[in-house]
Amino acid sequence: MRRLEISEKMRELMTGYYMAGMQADCNAWITSGAPVELLHAFDVYPVYPENHGALIGATKFGGYYCEFAEKKGFSRDLCSYARCDIGCVFAGTSPIGGLPKPTFLFACNNICNTVVKWYQVLSRIFKVPLFVLDMPFIRKELKEHHLRYVEEQLYDFIKFVEKITDRKLDDAKLRDVVLKSMEAVELYSECLRMASNRPSPMTCFDAFVNMAPIVCLRGTDHAVAFYKEMKQELEERVKKGISAIDNEEIRLLWDNIPVWYRLKWFGEFFEKRNACLVADTYTNAWSGFKVVRGSDVISGIAEVYTVSYLNIGMDMMVDIINRLIEIYDVDGVVMHSNRSCKPYSFGQYEIQKKLSVPSVIIEADMVDERVFSEAQVVTRLEAFLEML
Amino acid sequence: MKVGYLCTFTPKEIIHSAGFLPYRVFATESPITLASGYIQSYACSQARGALECALNGDFYAFVFTRCCDTLMRLTDIFEFVGKRVHNIEFPTKIGNIDYYVKELKEFLAVLKEWGGDVSFESLLESIKLYRELEEKLKKLFTLAPDYETVIKVQQIDVKDAIKLVDEKLKSAKKWGNKPKVLITGSVCPYLKVYDLFREAGFSIKDDICTGSRFFEFNYPSFEPEDLDSALRFIAEKYFYKSPCPTKHYSNDRRFDYVLKLAEDCDAVVFLLVKFCEPHFFDYPQLKEKLEQMGKKVALIELEFPVVSTEQIRTRIEALREVI
Ligand code: SF4
Ligand code: SF4
Repeated sequence: MRRLEISEKMRELMTGYYMAGMQADCNAWITSGAPVELLHAFDVYPVYPENHGALIGATKFGGYYCEFAEKKGFSRDLCSYARCDIGCVFAGTSPIGGLPKPTFLFACNNICNTVVKWYQVLSRIFKVPLFVLDMPFIRKELKEHHLRYVEEQLYDFIKFVEKITDRKLDDAKLRDVVLKSMEAVELYSECLRMASNRPSPMTCFDAFVNMAPIVCLRGTDHAVAFYKEMKQELEERVKKGISAIDNEEIRLLWDNIPVWYRLKWFGEFFEKRNACLVADTYTNAWSGFKVVRGSDVISGIAEVYTVSYLNIGMDMMVDIINRLIEIYDVDGVVMHSNRSCKPYSFGQYEIQKKLSVPSVIIEADMVDERVFSEAQVVTRLEAFLEML
Repeated sequence: MKVGYLCTFTPKEIIHSAGFLPYRVFATESPITLASGYIQSYACSQARGALECALNGDFYAFVFTRCCDTLMRLTDIFEFVGKRVHNIEFPTKIGNIDYYVKELKEFLAVLKEWGGDVSFESLLESIKLYRELEEKLKKLFTLAPDYETVIKVQQIDVKDAIKLVDEKLKSAKKWGNKPKVLITGSVCPYLKVYDLFREAGFSIKDDICTGSRFFEFNYPSFEPEDLDSALRFIAEKYFYKSPCPTKHYSNDRRFDYVLKLAEDCDAVVFLLVKFCEPHFFDYPQLKEKLEQMGKKVALIELEFPVVSTEQIRTRIEALREVI
């Protein structure tokens, strides 16, 4: 597999990001789908436990750190990002030396209600304030009163941060951050779209590995510069006809969070069978964070963040997946039934029936390598590929 | 016509006033088979059991209040298998009443589409009836918790329910002086489980959805004067009911509530449904606080249907011995 060179840059960039966190005088632990633009506008450094969890999963230490939480009584059935993160807090370290202690916590349930519980736990451990941004679940359509509810909370949040940090929100700065965020999201989406080329210049594993900046650094110049460069590399590849794998015969779409501790394994498995996972629903979820230009910034933020991918009904999810199937012109969908992530996984059995191409479901967990059954996954995937 | 619901935050009064029978759906004694084709085995067995019921049963519709990630997706799954559903967005963060009143108004519109028109008079009547039922259940439970009755009343008309509780009140005798255990968790529709506590020599106090969480409310101090204020009354009633781990309260109201309940108890048993995230997240820290208070704490993990009770019995007896 020809990995993207930009991944090296990403590693440097993220090392810098984590180091900056150690020095920041004020930081907030934040969930991946929360409107981080507000924190940047306040110069509050955002810490992403989910990204940290992914990183630990990728280094195959997931089970190890989960055990620290399990020993304290946290059930093995809980989300492994949460278990892993709480485990690191108890262990007092992690593969990168642990995360800096939070000044405050910011949880937004537009990805799941799990984060509310997880952050409540953190707030009791660290004895710091927690702000919950409660997003109504948009099962069918976004209603006016839902939007107002979220907007009001955003204003509450601003007051909350102003009180803790003793800083005032600078409107111009917020606007600037939002613009940068939009630019990065746009560039990032363009990068992902490059995979619609035949053969594809990238795999979804490239997308997974290089998603950290859009999650953690969206709203900063770093993310913009990074995705500009990534896009260049991809354009270059397309021009020269360089593909991610050698014989791209089958094109696939991945659904759900990656199996972090098996990225390489999955990559090789598919490559050997001339199959390329060109895109996925997980990284594409961030391409939706586009604040509508022109409207009031706060209501723009309220709108985009409320209708995030995991906060919508299954009808809408089906539409989105079918659209991705079309854009990336895939032959099949590999659905990761992820024990950890209920809002992402429940419904897959039904969604599967409404997709325009065949699909297969494999059982795994994103971070906890102890539950991975290689033999089972291999059997399922092989049968599926043969059928295509 | 039956309208099924799963969670104690469901505004039964509104469903009732629209002329439907609010019917609480639980996992049953029969094994979960059909549902396994629609939802993964790592969904809690309350959700799977309810889906099984829905697939087999005769319901006009189902009403959900988004409580946890499982229920959020379950709404869609019910719809995908062809059921009529509505999801009321009960907020996760307790606080904004105005918002929830609007959500309830939307619900009225949905009921109208279902052929149930709600008037102020009918709603007021339902509010009164449910309050009467709840207050009587409270009285019954202070004398002697009766899980058979409290579960039954959730599946019959509220007027019949009141009659039933009246009957029970006549013969209810106050429990003697036995060691008291607080059981806390989500649902447990299996009466055998409660019997085990009694057989082990415990008296019971509970904080579960098939017990006190069904009838412990704080009622607003105003009288509804029109439809709008009736909805507000309901919103407030449910916002400030016995707190549940699926919600976010300021100042850790949920923890304080459980700790207070535990004060006069000798032991606390977490009766948790396997895979139930909201409850399992709270467990370690709440347990620690309870132990600091000097309480004996045990965890019993349930999967529905409860087939073998022997293991549970052993746990409960072991707990009884250390008190
Ligand atoms: S349940 Fe899913 S969305 Fe929520 S924190 Fe875990 S992985 Fe993320
Ligand atoms: S038992 Fe827990 S996980 Fe299951 S539906 Fe109830 S709150 Fe959700």
